Amino acid sequence: MVTVEQLGKGFTSAGEPVPVISGLSFQVSRGASLAVMGRSGSGKSTLLNLLCGLESPDRGEISLGEHRFATQNPAGAERDAQWAQLRCSTIGVVFQEANLMPALTLADNVRLRAHLAGQAPGAEQQWLERLGVGDLGQRFADQVSGGQRQRAALAMVFAMKPALILADEPTGSLDRHTADAVADCLFAVQQETGCTLLLATHDGLLAGRCDQLLDLSRPHDHG
Amino acid sequence: MLAKAVFSHYRRHPVQLLALVVMITLATMLWTGVSVLTDQARVSLAESEAAVAGRQQVVRSDGQAVTVNDFALLRTQGQCVAPWLEVQRPGAEGRVIGIDPLALGCFGGAVPGGTAGEQLGAPFMDISEAVSLAREQGYDSRLSLLMPDNVTLLPVGYRAQDFSMGPATGELADSFLLNLDALSVLVLLITGLLVRSVYRLGLAQRRGSFALLQRFGVPWGRLQWLLVLELVLISSLAIMPGLWLGSQLAGLLGGGFAQALDGLFDVTLYAGSQTAVPWSALWIMLALVMLVCLSDWLLPRHWQRGMRAKRLWRWLLPALALGVGLLLVALAPALWWVFAGTTLVLLGVGTLTPVLLAALADGLGNRSLHPLGRWRLRELAVMLRQLALPVVALQLAVATVLAVQALVTTFEATFDDWLDQRLAAPFYLMVPEDADGHRGAQLLAELDGVGPWQRVIGGRVSLLQDSGQRLPVDLFAVAPIGPLLDQWQLLDSLPQPWQRLEEGGLMVNEQLARRQGLRPGDSLTVRLDEQQIEGQIAGVYADYGRPAGEVMVSADRLPEDFSGTSESLSITPGEHSIQAIQRDLEALWGVDNLSVNDNASIRQLANRVFDQTFMLTRAISVLTLALAAVSLLIMGWVFFTTRAWTFQLLRVWGLPLQGVRSQLRRLAVTLTLAVAVAALPLGIWLTWVLVSRINPLAFGWSLPMAVYPLFWLELGVLCAGIGLVIGLLMHRQLKPGAPPPVSASGITGEER
Repeated sequence: MVTVEQLGKGFTSAGEPVPVISGLSFQVSRGASLAVMGRSGSGKSTLLNLLCGLESPDRGEISLGEHRFATQNPAGAERDAQWAQLRCSTIGVVFQEANLMPALTLADNVRLRAHLAGQAPGAEQQWLERLGVGDLGQRFADQVSGGQRQRAALAMVFAMKPALILADEPTGSLDRHTADAVADCLFAVQQETGCTLLLATHDGLLAGRCDQLLDLSRPHDHG
Repeated sequence: MLAKAVFSHYRRHPVQLLALVVMITLATMLWTGVSVLTDQARVSLAESEAAVAGRQQVVRSDGQAVTVNDFALLRTQGQCVAPWLEVQRPGAEGRVIGIDPLALGCFGGAVPGGTAGEQLGAPFMDISEAVSLAREQGYDSRLSLLMPDNVTLLPVGYRAQDFSMGPATGELADSFLLNLDALSVLVLLITGLLVRSVYRLGLAQRRGSFALLQRFGVPWGRLQWLLVLELVLISSLAIMPGLWLGSQLAGLLGGGFAQALDGLFDVTLYAGSQTAVPWSALWIMLALVMLVCLSDWLLPRHWQRGMRAKRLWRWLLPALALGVGLLLVALAPALWWVFAGTTLVLLGVGTLTPVLLAALADGLGNRSLHPLGRWRLRELAVMLRQLALPVVALQLAVATVLAVQALVTTFEATFDDWLDQRLAAPFYLMVPEDADGHRGAQLLAELDGVGPWQRVIGGRVSLLQDSGQRLPVDLFAVAPIGPLLDQWQLLDSLPQPWQRLEEGGLMVNEQLARRQGLRPGDSLTVRLDEQQIEGQIAGVYADYGRPAGEVMVSADRLPEDFSGTSESLSITPGEHSIQAIQRDLEALWGVDNLSVNDNASIRQLANRVFDQTFMLTRAISVLTLALAAVSLLIMGWVFFTTRAWTFQLLRVWGLPLQGVRSQLRRLAVTLTLAVAVAALPLGIWLTWVLVSRINPLAFGWSLPMAVYPLFWLELGVLCAGIGLVIGLLMHRQLKPGAPPPVSASGITGEER
């Protein structure tokens, strides 16, 4: 499902080039889960951004199913359009925070996300209930706890029925107990729907629940 | 060190500092510019009144202009006359007056021009210098011969006349200046809102730093003093260039303004009457900035908390202010009540508009079945709440532009009608003093092929009141009652009013009708010298720009020996040339060089003057609109930096960048269009207040209320354009990459 070959990405800081990811290769099969670990600044979030097309690699190639993205191929607008289409219906992204539109209720957030993915309306309440926040659908993001917000964010992602979920520290801002509960939901529904999961985390326990582990602090080339 | 910590905010946010400085500077510029011009006009008005008050001038009975020869002749016959030479310099330089101090000796204490005349200070100069100036520079000049007002006997061929440069339209000038004053106060209010919005935004961002300093043991009072000091420093630095720019603006607009005042209202901007930079504006602006930025501190803290907490207050207080304001304006017995009521209405509308529009957007969002549409409407509601002050400022600015435009267009159309009314025929000529106007009329009546014509006699008569007292009014006698009167606009009338007038009825102008409570059908007695005319009021006619009451009768009802103050013949030459008619009349009356006035050129000149008159008003209102738009842009930019992540989230959710940008543009355009729609009723109401409340209360006559939907459309397009520009500029903030993280503890509910 996900294949990365010789991926390279760097930034410029204070006029100096700073390589973040260099020569990274790995593969994750359909329905499997991969934990991306590494110290702060090792490129976990950058990798996830590259895998959903929010950033472009300097070198290497990314394959998602039949979609292949090399450095210059496809180019420009076509590339952006393909990535947008993938994010819309195939790739679900969950961040540590800022996953919900603050002006919408939790239910409206789920409805909007499903709508953008082309899913028929009406299943939002079911997903919220599945994630354990069914009674909070008419509340706004500021009216629920951090854990409840992350559950709603997961409900949004599942409501779009993605083939790939990219989760960037989804439990990073939660306490242990809440983090475990959110992770339980995440893995349970991932198993149930059979989607692929890539998870960037500092949490060893969470990483331990994944099928594969990628440590960006070590020299790259994982299979 | 503490001051450094407090003041460091603007080092980190230079755009905010720039926005604050620009707002204060531009507000000062607009206020100062208008103040300088209106002060200058008032000084000129006072000077011209003082200079000619109670004075008389000698004029020739044959209607020719007086010359130096007339002056020499009158002096050799022992008459006390003094020359008064007005030299018109171009643009804002103003008019200067040449006088002869020696010739003024016989006036005793009643010297024209007061002490200024004795001292030869600006605008007065020695007449020989004034003559040289006019000759060398080719400036237009006009000679008048003044005489003391106690002289009654003059040589044959001369008569005395009040010393006035033109028709008495002083109250129209007052109306114009009053409108300018009202406009400048409105501009001050709008710019005050803008300054407050920028400052309060910065203050909200600094709340965390202040809380930290308080935790370190710095008392809140000390922080407040530092903030006051900071604001005084910023304001002073920003106001100074504003004062200078305001003077420059006044100078720039002064030329047209001077010509307008001179041409339309007979108010001369004399040289030397220009006021210097008005330092009073420094204190006014400083006080305004302090008030709008720090007024919250004047309220007790528990009040502030209470008002924030209780939603009812957000509705109730402004709704109350709005209701009371509307009532005050509708029922006001005096002008100041109207101003107070208008202020309350503006406060109420300003407070309610963002709340109502946001509630409407929320309501529509709840009903929207389209998830993206729902999000957009809810986001719009957030923007309306968060950008309430600049939104209201834009609303008031749009309403002002709308009202000013409607007022100007109405005024222009009305003035045009008035010109049509008074200049109905293509030509008119004044009947010389010793000539028989009746014979002139007979000549026209017997002339085959001549078009519509009429004889007009002006005079002073008195109205016999029920109490037996006599009320002096102007008389407008006209005959025959024919097609030239078709243009007259009757505000109220009995059936077939012109026929009734011809058969012995009377008409009164609006001013007299309002003042005396007269209506069509009422009986009226007009006292002439020894006789009186009685009749029923057949109609009330609009008569703009004059304070005096006037009665219209058929000239055929006047006794033959009635001596009016003026007499003229309005003529449509028809198959004849005006020159031929002029020659016939000259032969009839035994005079030469009858002066014929071409009404088309008078109308052309009047329209040109009119355009200049309102250039200033239009310029100020458009500048205010531009300022409000720029402010919304700045505030929108700052607001959007806190909001960009939600748009970035849409990208993460698969909306292409173009799609996200399109959502942003639609939001911005919807916001400014909503503001335009909200400004519409306010603008119409303000127009009504100007034409139907302020004018009648101040001057006794009202303007017809008219609306201009095409201009609404233009303004709507302009507002959409402003929104589009804001949206396009916001594109720059949508950078590639994931949305920046938002602290979970940072979500407080302010985001929605």
